[in-house]
Amino acid sequence: MKFYPYKRLNRPIALRVTSASLKLPDNTRDLLDTSAWSVPQRTVALGVAQHDDWTSARIGLSATLPPGAVADDAPWTGLKVLVTLADGETNVRTSVELRQDAPGSKEWSGFVEVNRDDHVGRAFLSAQAVATVDDVAGRSVAETDEDWTVDVTADEPLGGLRLDVKQVGFAKSSREWLHAYADAPWIVDASGRVPAVLVNTDVEGFADLLDAESGGMENKVHELLVTQMSTDVWTAVFHSAVGDLETESDGTPVFPTDWRGEVLREMLPDVAPGVHVEEALRRVHRRRTGDAGWVELQTRIHYAAVRRAGVSRALSQALRALQQSNRGDHA
Amino acid sequence: MIEKPYHVPLRLGLLSAAAAEPFLTEDLLKGVAGHAGVDLDKVVDRLPEDDPRWEVEPLRDLIEDAKHAFEDNRTQADAWLAPRLHAALRLTRREAADRRLWTHLALAVAPDYVAWRHRSRTTSKIGPERFRGAPDRQCFSRLWWAAEMFRDGADYTPVVTACGNQDLIHSALRRELIDHRPIAQALVQVMERGVAVTGREIEGLMTAVSAAGATLVYDALAPDVPRDPGVVRTWIEEAAHVSVPRRVLPDGPDEEPVPKKSVSDLTDFFADLFETAPVRGRAVKE
Amino acid sequence: METGEDFGPWLARQLKLAGKNQAELADELKLTRAAVSAWITGRSVPRPTMMTEIARALGTDIGTVHTRTTDTQAGLPVTWYHRPGYQDGGRDGGNAAAFAFDADVQVLARETCQNSLDERLTDNGRPVRVRYTIHEITGETLDAFRQAILWDELQPHYEAVSEAAAHQKVGRVVHAGVRDMFEKGRLVLLRVDDYNASGLVGDDYDNGKFAAVVRRQLESLKSDRGAGGSFGLGKATLWATSALGMVLINSTLSVPHEGRTERRVIGRLELPWRSVGDGTYAGPAWLGRPDPDSPGAQVTRSWWADEDIVERLHLTRDSDEPGTSFLIVGAHDVASLDESNADRVVDDENGRDGQEDDGTRDIRSMHRRLVEALERDFWAAMTAGGSRLPLLETSVRTLRNGQVVVEEQQIDPTEAQPARTRALRAFYEGTTVDRLTEPGQVALRTVPLKLPLAGGRRGTHGTHQAVLLVTDAGDKDGVPKQVHSLRGNRMTIKRSTVAGLPLGVNSFQAVLLTGTAAGEAAPFAEEAEEFLRAAEPPEHDRWGQTEELTLRWSHTAHHRIARLTTEVNAAVKELVARPKRSGDEGGAKLRKALTVSPTKKTTSRRAAGPGLPELDGLDASIGPAGEWRITAEVKLPRVDELPVMTPVVLLDVRSGARPRLDWAELVAEEGCEMEDGVLRFTPGARRAVFGGATDVTSHPVRTALTRLVLELRAGQGE
Repeated sequence: MKFYPYKRLNRPIALRVTSASLKLPDNTRDLLDTSAWSVPQRTVALGVAQHDDWTSARIGLSATLPPGAVADDAPWTGLKVLVTLADGETNVRTSVELRQDAPGSKEWSGFVEVNRDDHVGRAFLSAQAVATVDDVAGRSVAETDEDWTVDVTADEPLGGLRLDVKQVGFAKSSREWLHAYADAPWIVDASGRVPAVLVNTDVEGFADLLDAESGGMENKVHELLVTQMSTDVWTAVFHSAVGDLETESDGTPVFPTDWRGEVLREMLPDVAPGVHVEEALRRVHRRRTGDAGWVELQTRIHYAAVRRAGVSRALSQALRALQQSNRGDHA
Repeated sequence: MIEKPYHVPLRLGLLSAAAAEPFLTEDLLKGVAGHAGVDLDKVVDRLPEDDPRWEVEPLRDLIEDAKHAFEDNRTQADAWLAPRLHAALRLTRREAADRRLWTHLALAVAPDYVAWRHRSRTTSKIGPERFRGAPDRQCFSRLWWAAEMFRDGADYTPVVTACGNQDLIHSALRRELIDHRPIAQALVQVMERGVAVTGREIEGLMTAVSAAGATLVYDALAPDVPRDPGVVRTWIEEAAHVSVPRRVLPDGPDEEPVPKKSVSDLTDFFADLFETAPVRGRAVKE
Repeated sequence: METGEDFGPWLARQLKLAGKNQAELADELKLTRAAVSAWITGRSVPRPTMMTEIARALGTDIGTVHTRTTDTQAGLPVTWYHRPGYQDGGRDGGNAAAFAFDADVQVLARETCQNSLDERLTDNGRPVRVRYTIHEITGETLDAFRQAILWDELQPHYEAVSEAAAHQKVGRVVHAGVRDMFEKGRLVLLRVDDYNASGLVGDDYDNGKFAAVVRRQLESLKSDRGAGGSFGLGKATLWATSALGMVLINSTLSVPHEGRTERRVIGRLELPWRSVGDGTYAGPAWLGRPDPDSPGAQVTRSWWADEDIVERLHLTRDSDEPGTSFLIVGAHDVASLDESNADRVVDDENGRDGQEDDGTRDIRSMHRRLVEALERDFWAAMTAGGSRLPLLETSVRTLRNGQVVVEEQQIDPTEAQPARTRALRAFYEGTTVDRLTEPGQVALRTVPLKLPLAGGRRGTHGTHQAVLLVTDAGDKDGVPKQVHSLRGNRMTIKRSTVAGLPLGVNSFQAVLLTGTAAGEAAPFAEEAEEFLRAAEPPEHDRWGQTEELTLRWSHTAHHRIARLTTEVNAAVKELVARPKRSGDEGGAKLRKALTVSPTKKTTSRRAAGPGLPELDGLDASIGPAGEWRITAEVKLPRVDELPVMTPVVLLDVRSGARPRLDWAELVAEEGCEMEDGVLRFTPGARRAVFGGATDVTSHPVRTALTRLVLELRAGQGE
């Protein structure tokens, strides 16, 4: 539980994207359809097929402050609303001040520029209300409770970290290091910007099965295969994430800011249940680097991956389908 | 001792960590023997041929000069090399975020420099992260990013100060605090004023700044000016026509300097934070 | 002074009412029969002095004869006429339609407004105004009203029905209605007025609107749209809403009947078969003036009432503007009983339901439900835009014995349906756009409806271009991602959710305008109107296969509507969803399985696992030395063995590791013991409280700038 030593607002700021436009190399602007962003997913997707060469994007924003923020008797003065665009991969942090729509209004609006050269994948937008409270300037009195994601490459506003899936023929790939894995149907490469699953197209029919959307038994096999693969992937990325941790001088592990952090936050509650994620990370890190307990932890890591991959559901569905088809044979 | 590879590629490329793994041999990490470079070159993803920025020779020269000039005091090479590497290898942040580029530079172009700079005096080992690790740990990317984060517009002087203190760049680069330019400049100022100098003091200051950042919004206390993306673009386009000076500092991209008032306000504030902190520079738990 | 009707027809009717013929009057006035005949045929008028004589002969005053705005009271008095039982003893009397429904004021609102829209006077371009008045009466007001409706005449009939109550649903309803009136001493009158509508024109018996509503309840159920006018199923709901089966009507006609327009009054009662005294009665009864032309002058017909009578029947209209007032006597709303009380507490903005019921709960709930239905079904008809006036204006008010309980509420569709009304207005004003790029915009697409050839022939008669409007929506607009479909009368016929949209599509609302609603320029608008109208069931709540559609077109004609729906869904999808980039590798399912969804994080995993004590409250302040002083509450699970927990105090940071502070003091206060900084909980306790203070020398920054974090960690800590 947390406690602030000054008065602030308990309810969050509601931040909304109201427009998005791309600036093209010829300095014209292309206003994107509202389908470029998703309110439920809190994501803006700036990747549009016909404009891969945009130089910057302008995102229109509007924020609604929680009740009490602009009251006459509010315990603060000099209220400002700031929107911050932050990208941990490129260390970009840009803040813009929003303008109050009308005196006394709790609606504020403005826009933020997203520079194409400054981002690789996803950046995050948050809003903060800042004021002078008890003579201390720059206090945060309210903020958004969930960030908006600005994805500069995605063409669908789906948010979230999406691992890469690539289809390659391993044996004859120009990436020579893949030749060594020519007999594997798939491998996981967790060393890139985001982890990737490389699917070996040399295994005949495998890629087709993965793409299949047919029903029936084939579909159940497909589902089981997908869960099998994703169990592998989640196990691999978890190990990769936990194996590369930065530590404080006293040995405390620090949450990575890239995909590793997201994977850890997603999986740690299942790996070390019942504790705060920071504490969970510390425990896992201690087991990995310490003398004992790492082997024992594998079961939990595997369990977290199995849960994440939805194995139980796929398996029970496949079993049911199998039973039904058996019954069908006897009938 | 590891020497310059027999085969040094002519152009920079992209080397994924997975592809690099077989070449991070025990011998290499012990600093015993490097690789010839021929096999390594086969697993590299190429960068566009028509971009002069990817020519290796100017970088190789710069690295040779650094090794030569700081033969006796290798940690001081950071302060010299960081601004010059930044000015020689002109990248957008998007490009600089690609670890494969840095892995290629470290493993294929200059493994000898990595070994020279980062081989432990006590264990004689080189951490693999110096070749293919996180941006603030990898031998070259940490220098480039230090220069990028601490420069004041075109002025690299603060970079020299920051990189002169290993503790500062170590402590600062892994926190997103310095993503706000006035904070980065104020940290350099606080150090220059002699308020916090030692590793412990700097770590204590960073902890104080970070803890106060849970209630204070530095972006509002000390605002920055918006950046013009065109400036860096132009600077990158000029890359082919410039060679990096060795004696004087090069010029960085001519971006708007950090507002003076923001820097001085924050500097005073940080100094005060540090001086009023009940624990000063004591290693704090957790 | 009011202009009455011509003397001739008036006098003729008065004679008829009084049961006199022209010769008898001539005798009384000592005139020739030819002179009286000349007045009646309009060839001459009586001299002023003769008027007094005529008044005396008719048993009325001179004023009535002069103004002729009302009938004399001379003849048979206004009374109830009960339709006698069948000769063969059949007991199937009564209006099946009126008894088939549960009383539901929302259905009533839908049907009555629809009728009013259909009966709107279109020449003046003004909207038809519909006003709902819920009026609860008690005490003297109730007594007076009972007198006015001649309750004593009716009572034996109600008693007869009550006796049979056990056998019939209708009987039970009526029995309950009567009991409610007497035991609780109250009666709810629900009045539905429309203005700027045609009114109940036409003869009492022949084809016409009057007869369709008052006489031929059963016939027009066959959705007879010709002679029966537009009053279809709608009117049955009027009677269904009355627990007493009674509706009184006062209509101002747009076209004079018998030379008059104002205060055409009649009442109609719907009761099941009953035996009263010596007679048996099958079904309806009418309150009116006995018709001298009917056998035995027993059948009652509408009469031209005077202002006083209308007042006493609670039927006074606001103005002489044409239209009809229906007074539902003993209105009840069975459907509202289905709504749980919990719902109502939330819904009622006045929060009155939280208090003691002041007896107005029923009528308040009725009021609220009427408003709801009007907003939901008629937002489009009530929307104006550009130079276009709305087709309909509605209001609801609630009274008790003439005192206001809920102020008259003009229904504002922009309040309840901001997105949809915005869409329609943009269409009227011509401000629609091609693509949606900002909130508040309305995108327009035309969608083809291929009309089939009539008579079962193959082929297309023509392609109607319906108008699809799409705009972003907020929470106020109700169920998101819906299409409301309308035609010319602007009533929402169909509400459907657009299926198959990808994840993350923003909330929107869509409106489909078909038929004449698509605008004057839309091709085949009238034909589409006719086609879709035929595809509506009597409930007017969907388009699909109907008998009429099959008969007039073909049994496959409804496929055309299914195709329209497909086209609409595709057009909506094109506007609100991003086209997927082709060439995704590796199958959608695998991709989905490899996504860390940001929304998933919100599915709260409990901070502590099951069976672990959890922090449940924290109070903190900064002490005099700058230390944090805390009091914390712990919720304990119901388990046999409670684990020990270590309270840990940290400082929140912008990024990186959180510095941990030292405790200077830790004190157990309740439900626990403290031992070396470790909490041991008292077995069986459900709640524990402890306090503490931090060691200020462990603070890395001055305390006023810190955010305190308190955690409970399982075990003895490190």
